[in-house]
Amino acid sequence: MYGVSLLRNIGIHLMYVIVSVSIGFLLGLTLGILLSRKPSYSRIVLPILSIFNTIPGIVFIGILFLYLGMVPMTVIIALSVYAMFPILKNTYVGITNVEQRYVEAARGCGMNRRQILFRVELPLAMPTIIGGLRMATIYTVSWTVLAAMIGLGGLGEFIYQGININRNDMILLGAIPAAILAILLGLLIDVLQRKVTPRGIRKEAMSR
Amino acid sequence: MIQFENVTKRYGDATVLDKISFNIEPGQFAVLIGPSGCGKTTTLKTINRLIEPDGGRVLIDGDDTAVINRVQLRRRIGYVIQQIGLFPNMTVAQNITVVPKLLKYDKERCDKIVHEMLEMVDMPYEQYAHKYPTEMSGGQQQRIGVLRALAASPPIVLMDEPFGALDPMTRSTLQDEILRLQKKLHKTIVFVTHDMEEALSLADVIIFMEDGHITQMAPPEEMLKNPANETVKNFLGKHIAAADPSALTAADFMKTNVVTVDSKKGLRASTALMMRASVDSLIVTDENDRYIGTLSVEDIKSCGSPDCRMIDLVKNDRETFRTTDDAKRCFDMLLSTKANYVIVLNPDDTVAGIITKTSIAKALAERLWG
Repeated sequence: MYGVSLLRNIGIHLMYVIVSVSIGFLLGLTLGILLSRKPSYSRIVLPILSIFNTIPGIVFIGILFLYLGMVPMTVIIALSVYAMFPILKNTYVGITNVEQRYVEAARGCGMNRRQILFRVELPLAMPTIIGGLRMATIYTVSWTVLAAMIGLGGLGEFIYQGININRNDMILLGAIPAAILAILLGLLIDVLQRKVTPRGIRKEAMSR
Repeated sequence: MIQFENVTKRYGDATVLDKISFNIEPGQFAVLIGPSGCGKTTTLKTINRLIEPDGGRVLIDGDDTAVINRVQLRRRIGYVIQQIGLFPNMTVAQNITVVPKLLKYDKERCDKIVHEMLEMVDMPYEQYAHKYPTEMSGGQQQRIGVLRALAASPPIVLMDEPFGALDPMTRSTLQDEILRLQKKLHKTIVFVTHDMEEALSLADVIIFMEDGHITQMAPPEEMLKNPANETVKNFLGKHIAAADPSALTAADFMKTNVVTVDSKKGLRASTALMMRASVDSLIVTDENDRYIGTLSVEDIKSCGSPDCRMIDLVKNDRETFRTTDDAKRCFDMLLSTKANYVIVLNPDDTVAGIITKTSIAKALAERLWG
């Protein structure tokens, strides 16, 4: 009876996750890189972001809902912002943690700032950045449940309905696929992680 | 040619370089040395503008480096850093071709460079080109670090304590290799070190720095002969003595842990002492430790009776020298007679030590290798 609706909601859920995490990744990566160019700003920017990060998702979606209404954009904006935080932070940390000797060697070889970033800093920071992506993805799978709160579907739909009509099996019908989704996406990113980590730094990355 | 004209660098109130001026000729191997904080690394880094001077000019082949685009400038100057700094995300081949790629050499040319470079240091292409830095030893890594600096055939190569982090064996192998490469490629090399031994064995000219000044700039032989001041002298340390063999005395080479015996002791005690110390002869002294002569195991045997008095058996046919005598005379004596050691005496006739043929070998070794 719920089969079709389950598949549909998994699809919607996944769509929200993929779109929001992609946007969050691009935003987080860009801002993280920009912030790493000016590490002195990070002392102001990063604490502000972590305060932002502590605002419950439900509040943020609620506020956006008041302005934007019941449209998928509301959910996607909120989720993208939340997905951005860990990626931004890890990008910044990953780049600023690249050992100075590599940067100095790169400068000494005659790389300009852009070349240093793309040929040395980003490749070396990649394991950390992908670690942030992994965190963001797994969080986003669970935050996407909130989409149903404003009637926009996803696996949260079963959970809210289950709570309303007091049916535990219904809650589980939403919760279990969401958990499985989180695990599968996590595994997928692990594979990606291995792909983008250069062989030369694989050992280092693992001990991190 | 690299010219420094009144180059000055300050950090806050501290003056790191104080109007330094010098020239390095093309093809010269120049070594910057001095106590830590003397400004040697700063001097090196002003050449490729990793550090910008606050005053004065650095000229390369007559061109003021300040007006050359610094990224372009660095691609024309090889650079080797102490902590190796091979990019861990790149293979050996990729590391070597970093600069050629920045200069937009085509793939074929890059490949050719990798082959040539690895061949130069006897690292087979098949075995090493596709390894990552972490898969190699420190010595191999720094070889690649040097090759990376040489890959685009820059006329000038800067090296900032390149062998400082390596073990002594690997360090001396790499020193030999860099000298060989230098002879073959005729690069102008500017090399920073705090190790005088390294400086003496590599340099055509040593630039000694202290507190942002140049104390002395001279070829190694000249610096050894006429060190400019006490600091230079201290840095040269034992190398000064080694450089001037006529100044070496017997005291510099004698072994001091010799086995002596008082002539009042009996023969039995002497034999026991020989066995304990596993020597075949003893140096015999009187009650005031003054030298009398030597007693060998043959001498004891020739007597045959335990009643012999030791004093009758002691021979005084050994050559003796004073501690202040020229070491070379002792060596000559040792080599021209059959004696396997000569005796060195203090001014008060007490025994100071002996000089053996091993001492000569040691002296030669120190002369050759410092």
